[in-house]
Amino acid sequence: MSTDSVAQSLRRARSGVGVAGAGRPPDARPKRVLSPRNVTMLALVLPSILLVLLLNAYPVLYAGVQSVRDGDLISAGDFVGLANYATVLSDPVFWQAARFTLVFTLVGVFGSWAMGMGLALLLRRRIPAGGVFKVLLLLPWVVPVVVSATSWNWLVATPQSPLPILAEALGFGRVLFLANPLLAQITVCVFKVWISFPFMMMMMGAALAAVDNNVYEAARVDGASGAQLLRTMTLPLTAKSTFISWILMTIFCVNDFPTVFLLTGGGPVNATQTLVVQAYRTVFLDFETGPGVAIAFLMTVVLVVISVVLYRSVKKVDIE
Amino acid sequence: MSAATLPRTSPRAASRRATATEAELRGRWWRFTVLLVVTAITIVPIVAVVYLSLQPALGSAVTAPFTLENFGNVFAGTNVLLWLQNSLVVTMITVVIAVAVAAPAGYVLSRGRSKLVAGYSLLLFVIQSLPIVTAVIPLFILFARLNLVDSLTGVTIVYVGSTMSVAIWMMAAYYDSIPISLEEAGWMDGVSVFGGFVRIVLRNSLPGVLSTAIFAFLLSWNDYLIATVFLRSDYNYTLPIGVQTFFQQNSTNWGLVMAVAVVMMLPPIIVFGVLNKYFSVGGIGGSLAGK
Repeated sequence: MSTDSVAQSLRRARSGVGVAGAGRPPDARPKRVLSPRNVTMLALVLPSILLVLLLNAYPVLYAGVQSVRDGDLISAGDFVGLANYATVLSDPVFWQAARFTLVFTLVGVFGSWAMGMGLALLLRRRIPAGGVFKVLLLLPWVVPVVVSATSWNWLVATPQSPLPILAEALGFGRVLFLANPLLAQITVCVFKVWISFPFMMMMMGAALAAVDNNVYEAARVDGASGAQLLRTMTLPLTAKSTFISWILMTIFCVNDFPTVFLLTGGGPVNATQTLVVQAYRTVFLDFETGPGVAIAFLMTVVLVVISVVLYRSVKKVDIE
Repeated sequence: MSAATLPRTSPRAASRRATATEAELRGRWWRFTVLLVVTAITIVPIVAVVYLSLQPALGSAVTAPFTLENFGNVFAGTNVLLWLQNSLVVTMITVVIAVAVAAPAGYVLSRGRSKLVAGYSLLLFVIQSLPIVTAVIPLFILFARLNLVDSLTGVTIVYVGSTMSVAIWMMAAYYDSIPISLEEAGWMDGVSVFGGFVRIVLRNSLPGVLSTAIFAFLLSWNDYLIATVFLRSDYNYTLPIGVQTFFQQNSTNWGLVMAVAVVMMLPPIIVFGVLNKYFSVGGIGGSLAGK
């Protein structure tokens, strides 16, 4: 069918032929499980279902099985009950990783949101060369993490790096960004915010673009200040996008591997180790498959519960 | 009532009005300065990559302040071209398969009204919230039996799997913006459900397809975790893994490393630069945002 005939169909639909009911969705017809429509829909969705089952669902279930066995990357091993979980949960390193994952996620989500929202608000006003800024500010998100981690390493890692030299020149003394545990944690969090804020900027920019400007015009005429506008209008009007962006960023942060691994490897002394990094290290560097899988599966269970709850709550917000 | 509230006011006219008062003009330059400073600080790490890649190496005969010798050395003396080719092949195949599978599946998610479809949508949401590392370990064991470890085919399969849920979502979110009356008109003309999808909906979904393709491209091009787990031999490396071999304990040649880094970041920047007007992150949250 050419575009012409689409236009033609549209014209016919507009002229009222469709009202007669011929254009109702086929599923409004008497229910038949194997109606041509259902068969077609099944054929369209089937390849994706097979891929999802094989590459997503099966591995997760298999991980559940593996977490109660003492196998390795080659053999399945024997059933050991909850021994792997006991090992993991009694390990202080696990709880340290859990704590840092929480901090990393909170800073990542709210830091990148605040920065992205601020920049989106700036960029929505007319600014000289605004388009150039918009493109340049997206770069941290577009550039591969391997590249940016390499660059950040060069900038901060050793005493001979530019940033420590600058800090010394400014009288802060010798600052070891990745060797001091607290500083390393701060650096990793700042790095994550740097990577993630463009995503927030895009999401909030799209949300702001959808807000009717006349509303602002009217409020300003009524004498509302900038801060009042932000609190009483901008934030409530973009609340739903904000909520969704927080959900997505939480998922991105909790599951983030390369940001931490490539900058610090989880060190110094596990200070910046997140749960994902710990799971990876336990399986692929310490070769303790059972406990490693147990960590990954614990995360999985928690995330499944959280994501189902969030999904429901978003859909509810939607209906209201 | 000012002219700005009239519906037909052009942006240009609005800006002329904006320049009218001095306070607004000052505000504009103040915002410009803030943006300039923030942007300048933000892109320091990226500028540093380009700058270092153009520096002559220590003890090099080159005396000019900038040189391309690092790129020459990298292409002539290392496997970077091979890794680049591996990255390109893996990424292209991932993009094609992801779009080919997600485009029809997204249609079902967008138009289907049954409980099963709603359940599938929830399943996809849950899956995309899970850490990749959970799936990687069992897949590694499975792939070891199938001879797919240390193989570009194996890596591509994992990439396709990890893009699937978000890709389907993004397509569904785009289809949601296409009125169903278009298909209804087509069905009335005797077009089949499949025909309606391909010739009416898909034909009008280029931005959605491109968005999904860009997403799949960025995901597989920028991946580190999957490649580092599955790829073992030098000739199978993709760029992100390959560049790690350049780091030495104490004597990293930053010029060479940054030259590879430039090679690695150019494709996503080009793709994003050319296609960014089609890309909307809205698509990622879109299906959640509802219909």
